[in-house]
Amino acid sequence: MTRTSAALAGVVAFTMASCVRVKEPAVRPTAALPSDRLWSDPGNLQSKDLFYGQWGVERRPNPKAVFRFVERKHAGVNPGMTVVDPQGREWSVKQIPAGALDVEAQVEVTLSRLLQAIGYFQPPVYFLPEFTLKDDWGTHTEVGGRFRLKDETLKEVGEWAWPENPFIGTRPYQGLLVLMMLFNSTDLKDSNNSIFAYRSGDRVEQWYVVRDLGSALGDTRRLGPFKSDPDAFEQQPFIIGVKRNHVQFAYSGYYEKYVRDRISPDDVVWATRLLGGLTDKQWRDAFRAGGYDQATTARFLRTLRKRIHDGEALSSRVRS
Amino acid sequence: MSHPLPLIRRAVGALMVTASFARPLLAQDLTPSTQPPAKDAAPERRGLIEEPAVIRRAVVIFDRRINFAEATAGPYTLYGKMIPGGGISGGLGYRRWYAHDRAFVDVSAQGSWRGYTTAQARFELPRLARSRLLVGAQARWQDFKQVDFFGEGPDSFLSNRSQYRIQSRVAGGYVTVRPTRTLAIDTQFGWLQPSILEPGGVFQRGFPDTRKVFTTDPVFALRGQPSFFHREISITSDTRDFPGHPTAGGVYRAAFAGYDDRGAEVFSFKRYEAEAARFVTLPRTGVVLAARGWLVASDAAEGQTVPFYFQPSLGGANNLRGFTDYRFHDRNLLLLNAEARVPMMTHVDAAAFVDFGNVSPHLGEVDLRKHSYGAGLRLHSRRQTFARVDAATGAEGWRLFVRVADPLDLSRLSRQTITAPFVP
Repeated sequence: MTRTSAALAGVVAFTMASCVRVKEPAVRPTAALPSDRLWSDPGNLQSKDLFYGQWGVERRPNPKAVFRFVERKHAGVNPGMTVVDPQGREWSVKQIPAGALDVEAQVEVTLSRLLQAIGYFQPPVYFLPEFTLKDDWGTHTEVGGRFRLKDETLKEVGEWAWPENPFIGTRPYQGLLVLMMLFNSTDLKDSNNSIFAYRSGDRVEQWYVVRDLGSALGDTRRLGPFKSDPDAFEQQPFIIGVKRNHVQFAYSGYYEKYVRDRISPDDVVWATRLLGGLTDKQWRDAFRAGGYDQATTARFLRTLRKRIHDGEALSSRVRS
Repeated sequence: MSHPLPLIRRAVGALMVTASFARPLLAQDLTPSTQPPAKDAAPERRGLIEEPAVIRRAVVIFDRRINFAEATAGPYTLYGKMIPGGGISGGLGYRRWYAHDRAFVDVSAQGSWRGYTTAQARFELPRLARSRLLVGAQARWQDFKQVDFFGEGPDSFLSNRSQYRIQSRVAGGYVTVRPTRTLAIDTQFGWLQPSILEPGGVFQRGFPDTRKVFTTDPVFALRGQPSFFHREISITSDTRDFPGHPTAGGVYRAAFAGYDDRGAEVFSFKRYEAEAARFVTLPRTGVVLAARGWLVASDAAEGQTVPFYFQPSLGGANNLRGFTDYRFHDRNLLLLNAEARVPMMTHVDAAAFVDFGNVSPHLGEVDLRKHSYGAGLRLHSRRQTFARVDAATGAEGWRLFVRVADPLDLSRLSRQTITAPFVP
């Protein structure tokens, strides 16, 4: 065997070995600090405001304000910018792209409201359909989008990984994965997850947050999945079965490996019951917060309710 | 130790996500950080036929990975940015903005099917004087290995097709003053050192060496090509809605360039250009009408001549589409294009076009005698044409080509003006 072919064989063997490992990623819990938080019991669900969210009306961006341009957004696939409002608060804006193809902003705000209502931590995000911008060229109206506040009580200190974090195996972690499947979230890469240090008085908590929720409510194709698309969302089922006490999802995205043979019917029932506890008004408020019109909201809600029903139906299997 | 394959996957993923044509958005001010984001967020118009999901998905992929990445910091990929004749091309680049977009660096390199290679590095300060002033510098290396030349004049023979290789090193700077968002006054200056060599690269087509076919050309009377000092001033008004897929607005440009031969002192000349393109969308039907006119005039003093690689040339997928790339060379050029684009689906247009143009040794004699017409299909998002297939015919037969940009995508508006050969 020549040296070249030996080297080639080595490369092939190494690549194949690597592929085997990637298919089944190691999932291991890491040591938890007392201040680490992924979820907290939401208490009375029906008291939650899903239009303004937990951060409230007081933190929302003023739609009539003139925002000062700071810099363009230089990451991701949707355009955007950093702006400062007249109160000196800094906002990260993710805009609706031209042609409204591949819109993330609306999904992100809506899903943020839903997750927050059922106990998952979220940063303050709001949706404005348009806003007034003052840049080097003057003042004009801009296409709106998702406004995320850089709040002084909430500092982003790093990112966390789905397969390696302190919550693996816990019900809220399993439930969060179920919700990602339920929403058809296709972009579960680690860089979309943030750890925020939340300061309340002398107390500091480390919030584990799925920050970038925009790639959802569409289908889950690996190449070019549609986002915020009621047609695509309603065409794809949620659950296709249960095998050896593991729920099989119709989800076909790249990150399917995170849930394959890892989610029990109990996990699904827990998550869907939580979500199912929201009232019709709360659901509509969440979509209104994301700037969806009533017709589109109705279509998404029909599909989501069916998915929640499918998830709750697994409870009979749990009992048996 | 972390496993290497996921790292490689992440790196490749990052490259894909940040993929880009690295194409400037607006004339004479080519750092996207100073540009406003697209304003039109309304859903696109539906076409005559319901669009299948597979096409929409393809557009989503292209739009996601190629389009907005213009403003994405970090690694990016280049597609189809080589000059005509190079074949399929690709490359890698890296760019970053600093100090709230007040400084910008960009380095990239690319190669093509026929072995063309380029590399460039650029530094800009795009937001001086509240974005009214941009200052930049660029260094480039280019090696185009199989450039066609058919001889000078409007009556050159197709059978005289020859090829040459041109290598050049370019270094220069530019200053752009922008009185308004859409108006740019640009000055460029630079040094260029070209070398004419035997055709090279891969997949050669067997055409003879230009040096052997046109032995009496003044370019080959010299042992080597001189270096050039180049300066240019231009004024551009650009009101197109989306430069990568314009459906409204126009671009109007006038330019003067001087090339001073710094060695042989026989190739100094001046070039004047005027160009206008206008795009109109007809109400209700969504049909886009596009028209473009372009005049290039060269002027050389007594005893000076314009080397053929700097002569305006005509022919190819972006101008006289029924003729092959660089088909006609001479000192002066006149071109008119008209095109109608009918929306067949949301992201697919059918296009019909006519082109008129010619080259001439004397400005007063330049006419529109050569023409071509044809039709094609365009795949696009709201802001970018990703692919087009055009069939065109002229006096020299039919041509079928596939390209990855809008036909009236004016390459002159990029930071590659100081280039050799002249690219129409």
